[in-house]
Amino acid sequence: MTANPEPFPRPDTAPSVTLTGARLEFDGVPLFENLDIAVEGGRWTCLLGPSGVGKTSLLRLIAGLTDAAAGAVSCGDGARLDGRIAYMAQQDLLLPWATVLENVMLGHRLRGDRQPRGEEVDRARALLAQVGLASRETERPAALSGGQRQRVALARTLMEDRAIVLMDEPFSAVDAITRYRLQEQAAALLAGRTVLLVTHDPMEALRLGDVVHVMAGHPAHLDRPLRPTGTRPRDPADPKLRELQSDLLRRLAAAEGMS
Amino acid sequence: MTISTARRIAALAGIMLLLIAAMPARAAEPLTVLLDWFVNPDHAPLVIAQQKGYFAKHGLEVELIAPANPNDPPKLVAAGQADIAIGYQPQLVLQVAEGLPLMRIGTLVATPLNCLVVLADGPIATIADLKGRKIGYSVGGFEDALLGAMLEKHGLTLDDVTLVNVNFSLSPALFSGQVDAVIGAFRNFELNQMDIEGRPGRAFYIEEEGVPDYDALILLANKDRLDDPRLRPFLDAMGEAVRYIINYPEESWELFIAAYPDLDDELNRRAWRDTIPRLALRPAALDSSRYRKLSKFLEKRGLIAKAPETSTYAVEID
Amino acid sequence: MRLLRPLIIFAGLIALWQSTVSFLSLPHYILPAPARVAAAWWDRSGSILHHASVTGAEILVGLALGAMLGCLSALTLASYRPARRWLMPMLVVSQSIPVFALAPILVLWLGYGMGSKVAMATLIIYFPVTTAFLDGLRRTEPGWLDLARTMGASRRSILLHLRIPAALPALASGIRVATAIAPIGAVVGEWVGSSAGLGFMMLHANARMQIDVMFAALFTLGVMAVALYYAVDAVLRRFVSWQAETDPSRDHNDARSFPQ
Repeated sequence: MTANPEPFPRPDTAPSVTLTGARLEFDGVPLFENLDIAVEGGRWTCLLGPSGVGKTSLLRLIAGLTDAAAGAVSCGDGARLDGRIAYMAQQDLLLPWATVLENVMLGHRLRGDRQPRGEEVDRARALLAQVGLASRETERPAALSGGQRQRVALARTLMEDRAIVLMDEPFSAVDAITRYRLQEQAAALLAGRTVLLVTHDPMEALRLGDVVHVMAGHPAHLDRPLRPTGTRPRDPADPKLRELQSDLLRRLAAAEGMS
Repeated sequence: MTISTARRIAALAGIMLLLIAAMPARAAEPLTVLLDWFVNPDHAPLVIAQQKGYFAKHGLEVELIAPANPNDPPKLVAAGQADIAIGYQPQLVLQVAEGLPLMRIGTLVATPLNCLVVLADGPIATIADLKGRKIGYSVGGFEDALLGAMLEKHGLTLDDVTLVNVNFSLSPALFSGQVDAVIGAFRNFELNQMDIEGRPGRAFYIEEEGVPDYDALILLANKDRLDDPRLRPFLDAMGEAVRYIINYPEESWELFIAAYPDLDDELNRRAWRDTIPRLALRPAALDSSRYRKLSKFLEKRGLIAKAPETSTYAVEID
Repeated sequence: MRLLRPLIIFAGLIALWQSTVSFLSLPHYILPAPARVAAAWWDRSGSILHHASVTGAEILVGLALGAMLGCLSALTLASYRPARRWLMPMLVVSQSIPVFALAPILVLWLGYGMGSKVAMATLIIYFPVTTAFLDGLRRTEPGWLDLARTMGASRRSILLHLRIPAALPALASGIRVATAIAPIGAVVGEWVGSSAGLGFMMLHANARMQIDVMFAALFTLGVMAVALYYAVDAVLRRFVSWQAETDPSRDHNDARSFPQ
């Protein structure tokens, strides 16, 4: 695992994303209404909350995968969101019939681009090396462990090279140690981008997030966010982080109580 | 009721059951007759015997069953699953050669019905014109024997024609022009059918073209069940029905369509008219010499290794 | 063991056949004994092999054609919802018409040669392939589709790179079914009108009361069908080699006592 983050053009160039007045219904019952969220440019925003509160739905709304009853998504630099996001889900979503390298280059293949140029293949290989899977590029996902597959998914997300990255519990399906390592790799490799991370792990949120929201209630709303300080990934032993963790846990407990 | 009354009733019931059981069992059992095809005017004597009560008069209950596959009836009678089957004399020789224990006990239609048919407005005027042409046939088992003989009479061989199996759609194959002639058509049926469709056919009768005369439809029974007392009365009843048909053709047609109303159409009416003269007037009678000549013919044409002794497969029941 | 197993199965079937004949005292013109059928096969091996090659060709061409048509229809139906609404009922109807009712019509249109037999086989296998493939195409993993949308994939691209590869296992199942039933189509076609083929041979032998020959032809047809099935299965496995096979017989019988 190298520590060379891919240099993304300076932090302040990644745009912010704002969602205003969002309303999403499930079977006529509003999941959330008149919801606003601001994902600051170049920073990591983490979203926590009890299961079923609507975190994933909110993420999917921003990603353009769900149609909302109301709500407008806009970018800080005024351009549209389409084509500027990279999406990483809880499942690795690797295609079982393609090799690891082909999976990393999935975006390229799906966009119907002509034969990948040599440099694009090189970049994919470099990304695989950065997640430590260079030797596995010709294998199929079935030959890899869960953690390894999620690393390939991370490489695929990076390959997209998008300014805005939306992640839905991307590390929840792996064991604690692998999760810890993946968090560090993600922090390094996604430096400088606008990231919205949905997670159910409070420590993950605090280690990685610059802005941490708790989503709670029916219909759901966001509270005043926590703002951990220090560069990510933060040390869990740090007492300031510990304090924030108790605060967060209290809020989460209260949120559970509300549901 | 008292116990003694109950006992008496039980005893009476028991005696009645014994009496019923003791009644001649065979006469009460229906005689199963497997037809060669769906009911049609060829089966007139059977239908009339049923309708006029001749079977009942002879103490018989007869069940007429139409098969889905015409090859099954002889097999079923040979296996003892039915009493009588309607078969064809030439096929009987083949079946006997294959070891089926069958015996001809009567005749239904006493002339050949098979013929070679071409379109009347077509290019074939004589059999010699069939050179290089296609002939359709339904699988009867001995078309090549018939055709071989007929073609030879006109200086041709089987190599001069192409045989195509069209199964049972003989007339459609002729109409669509996919074959130039068909063999296996029944002269009382296909010819009338083609006439009604407005495309009449021209027939070459096989017995005029080198094939020995034979009985088109015969009655078969299992060789080991010839002592069945119902067989002779059956043939007697059939004989009476034939006489009735000959004497009263119109009335018997009315009886026929009363029993099978969906056969009341132009085709069957014409087929009836053409079938009546061909019915065996004496169903039980046997002309052994005729049977010998046909089996020798089949042996000569290579369909069987050796012509079986006629008495082993055809008999006159007393 | 691998070679031994089919031999044992085969011997078992022959033994079953022979015992059926013996115990039920079946006459040879209803069900001939294996020895008789073997003798008949030997006597006519040349003729049987010739007819077998004709029927074999009809089956293979019918299978190829039916599979292709099935794939094309499935792709059409998957891509255009109006097509699905209007065409699907017609497809279902076409399957409920008994094959022997259609056969004469086909024979009249296409003649008595190979064309009508191939058409029959194609008709029979076309539907299973279509439905299997269509099912597969419509059940693509939603997660992949989400990912593809965020990546800006076009509809065509999603079809080509996601739906079709993901649907290949389902298509393979459909093709396996088709392989098993294609012989039926070819043989029924021959029954309605033909001059060659195993179906024709069976018909002829039956009419001449040569039941042992009929069974010899039937046996040959059976062997061909089995061989074809396993050959097609092997090819399909190679193409769908990425699909993990999770054999249900390996699941544990009793629930293990995991800590609650």
